[in-house]
Amino acid sequence: MTMLLRKLESIATLSEGERGAIHDLPARARTIPEGQDIVRDGDKPSQCCLILHGWTFRYKLLGEGRRQIFSFHIPGDTPDLQSLHLHTMDHSLAALTDATLAFIPHDSLRELTLRFPRLGAILWRDTLIDAAIFREWMSGMGRKTAFGRIAHLFCEMYMKLKAVGLAEDYRCPLPITQGELGDALGLSNVHVNRTLQEMRGRGLITLRNKTLVVHAWDELCRSAEFDPTYLHLSKTS
Amino acid sequence: MSLRLQPVQVATGSNDIESQLAFAGGLLVAILVQLCEQHEDQAGRWYLEAGFGRLDQPHAPTFANLEEAQDWIEQQLSSTAVPTS
Repeated sequence: MTMLLRKLESIATLSEGERGAIHDLPARARTIPEGQDIVRDGDKPSQCCLILHGWTFRYKLLGEGRRQIFSFHIPGDTPDLQSLHLHTMDHSLAALTDATLAFIPHDSLRELTLRFPRLGAILWRDTLIDAAIFREWMSGMGRKTAFGRIAHLFCEMYMKLKAVGLAEDYRCPLPITQGELGDALGLSNVHVNRTLQEMRGRGLITLRNKTLVVHAWDELCRSAEFDPTYLHLSKTS
Repeated sequence: MSLRLQPVQVATGSNDIESQLAFAGGLLVAILVQLCEQHEDQAGRWYLEAGFGRLDQPHAPTFANLEEAQDWIEQQLSSTAVPTS
């Protein structure tokens, strides 16, 4: 449960008792291969998953093979936490890379939030931040250029990874393919490819071997109109 | 409906320059751009850079050659279904 503690402590302060209760949560670890669904649209799961290793993504399939990716998730995230209260999945969750997940029974999480109401509030805070991220994505897809959307996603993923100790020095893992970027940001592969070339050409980033290196953070943030306030990484903001 | 292509160069902000304007019944319906080598396995294909009316696609397709592109354009223009993609 170290990853969950790291994640929750990136957005809130925990007491010793709360830390202990999270640590003692029963969980069953499983590795899901890249591309495989973890939970599907319409499922009624009885557990939530915590990402220990690897990345996952939420998505929905539309007609004619069209796919919309809603979000990318990293270690420490509980991407299907909503199933604790919304019993039927309204989208799917899949492994973006090989991913090791800890499955926590709903009953245990429910009991935890009853015994430690403040932990319930922190998980609630986490889902509110999730909603804030959706608002940012919506602004991007509705009103930003391809450049602005991709740059914003890079800034967001770097900040999220850094908050849980998985990125530093403007370098982070980024195992997202161009096709997946397109499906997440409403862009064609062609547009994604051109935009990445432009970013490289302007000396802003390097993206190689699934690693993102940002060479000009301030300029990338400026061109993305990225303001990290919505990630609420400060525990009191 | 008769389709007519007219070669043109388009400033896409990339090395994808060689293009064709597609006219149907004398009206511009699409701009097709040939993808350059920077697109690797997609290089040489034709991309629907812009489509107008029924050809306005949120998820723009690519085509192996201009014949395939024209077939698709004719099909879209003659379709009576409400476009979903």
